[in-house]
Amino acid sequence: MAEEKKLSKATLVKNWLLTYSSETCYNYERLQGLGNTNAFVPVIRELYPGDEAKQAEELKNFLVFYNTEPSWMGTIINGITAAMEEKRANGAEITPDEVTTLRSALMGPMAGIGDTVSQSIAYPVLAGICIQLALAGNFAGPIIFEIAYKVLMLGLGYNMYMLGYNKGRDAIVDLLSTGVINKLLDAVSIVGLMVVGSMTASNVKLDLSFMNFTWANALGDIEFNVQSGVFDALLPGLLPLLVVLATWALLRKKVKPLMLIIIMFALGFLLVGIKGLCGAYA
Amino acid sequence: MVFQAVLVALITTCCTWWFSHAVTRTWLYPIWSGFLVGIVMGKPLEGMMIAAAINLPYVGFITAGGSMPGNPQFAGPVGTALALVSGLDINTATTVGVILGSVTVLVWTVYMSVNAFWVHMAEDFLSKGNIRAMRFCNYVPSFFVSLLINGVPAFLIVMLGAPFGAWLQSFPMWIVDAFGIIGGIMPALGIAMLLQYLDKPKLTPFFFMGWILAQFLGLSTMMITAIGAVIAVLLYNQASKPNSSLIGGE
Repeated sequence: MAEEKKLSKATLVKNWLLTYSSETCYNYERLQGLGNTNAFVPVIRELYPGDEAKQAEELKNFLVFYNTEPSWMGTIINGITAAMEEKRANGAEITPDEVTTLRSALMGPMAGIGDTVSQSIAYPVLAGICIQLALAGNFAGPIIFEIAYKVLMLGLGYNMYMLGYNKGRDAIVDLLSTGVINKLLDAVSIVGLMVVGSMTASNVKLDLSFMNFTWANALGDIEFNVQSGVFDALLPGLLPLLVVLATWALLRKKVKPLMLIIIMFALGFLLVGIKGLCGAYA
Repeated sequence: MVFQAVLVALITTCCTWWFSHAVTRTWLYPIWSGFLVGIVMGKPLEGMMIAAAINLPYVGFITAGGSMPGNPQFAGPVGTALALVSGLDINTATTVGVILGSVTVLVWTVYMSVNAFWVHMAEDFLSKGNIRAMRFCNYVPSFFVSLLINGVPAFLIVMLGAPFGAWLQSFPMWIVDAFGIIGGIMPALGIAMLLQYLDKPKLTPFFFMGWILAQFLGLSTMMITAIGAVIAVLLYNQASKPNSSLIGGE
C-alpha cells in the first residue's frame, strides 16, 4: 500500500491565495470556473506528482460553471474541496462528480452569506465612515478603508478556508443548520442599516428653498417659502429621507437601478424647470 | 502627462481585471481607486475628496452573479481623473461619475462576454494536457481586454479631458443647477439598494434610528457605528438565549 498522501500547509495556503484570482477571467458562461481550476493546480500537482496527463484530467473537473462569494466566506468551499480531493487521492470512494455536486450545492448559500457579510455589512459601514473622513480632507479615510477591508477579508477568508479543510463538509452543515449564522448576520446588519440611515441625513441633499412665492396685498408682501415653510417646519431633513424611501419603494416594485438613475435625472431637470418658473433664470 | 496617463490607464485596467482580490478587491470602490488616481496625478487631497464624492451613490451597491447595477470600477478612476484634469467641483463630480458609471455598464457586459472565449481556449489546452497554458488563459487575455475597453479610454480622458470643465461651464445655468441637484439625490440610490437587499422588516427601524441620531443629534458616522455595534452585540446575545426570538427567529 502506498504511503498516505497529505497536502502540505504551503499547498493549502497557495490554494487559498489563488482562490483570490477566481474572478481574473470573470465571464458570463462559467463565471469563476477557470479561476478555480487555476486555484487547484497546486493541490492536484501535489496529489498526483509527476503525472501531467492525470493532473490535467483532474483539473478539467473544475472547469465547470462555478460562482460564489470568493474572498470573505466562500473560501470554505475550496477548503472542503481540498480535503475531499486529498481523501479521493488516497483511494476513498468519492467520484469527481460528487465533488462537483457538493461544490455546486454549497456555492449558492455561501454566496448569500458572503455577499451579505462583505457587501451589505462590511463595505457600507467602512465606506460610510471613510467617505465622511475623506470628504473632510482627512487622509485616514481611504487608508483606513483599504487596511480594514483587507484585514477583515483575508482574516475571514483564511479562517474559513482552514475551517473547511479541517472539518470537511461537517463545517458547513454546522454553520448552516444551527441558525447561528443568521442570527449573527441579522445582528451585524443593524450596524450597516444605522450607517446608511446616518448617510441619508448627511449625504443625501435636496433643498426646495428656491420655491419662494411672494404675494403683494394691501397689508404688504406675504412671503411663502416651500422649504422653510413646509418641510423644515414639519421635520428638518425630511426631504432627503423621503427621496430614499421613494427610491426604495420603486426598487421593491422591481424598477431597475439604471431606470432609477434616469428617473433621478428627470427629477433634477423637473425641479430646475420649477425653479425657472419661480423666476430663477429670468 | 503621458506617464501619468499611462499609470491612470493601468489603474483603471486593474479596477476591472481583478488579478487577485487580495490586492484588487478594494479597487472596485471609487474611494480607493480614485485615491490611487489622485496620488499618481500628484493631487492626492483633491483626488481623495472627489473619489469619496463619486463613491457616495455606490454605497450599498450589491453585485451578485456578475451582474452590475452600475460600473463604479470605471466611474471611480476615470471620473476622478476627469475631475482633476478639468477642474470639476465635488457635486458635479458625483453626477459625472454616475453618468460614466451608468453608460459603461455596457463596457462591463462586453468584458464578461468576451472572456468566455478564453475559457474555451483554456479547455482546449487542458484537453491537450497543457496546464501552464490554461493558467495563462486565466490571467493574461482578460488583462488585454480590460486594457482595451477600460485602460485606453482612461488614457484618452487624461490626455484630452482638460477642456471638459470649461465646456461644462459654458452650459446654461439651469443645466449646471440640475447636475447639482442630481448629485445631491443620487446617494439615495445606493442606500435604497442596501435596504432592498437586506429587506427584513424587523430590522428596518434601525435604519430610522441611524437617521434620527445623525439628523436630530448630529452624531458622526463613527459614533453611530459604535452605537450600532453595541446594539448588535446586545441583540445577538438576546437572540442566542434559548426560547428567544427578538431577532433572527425565522
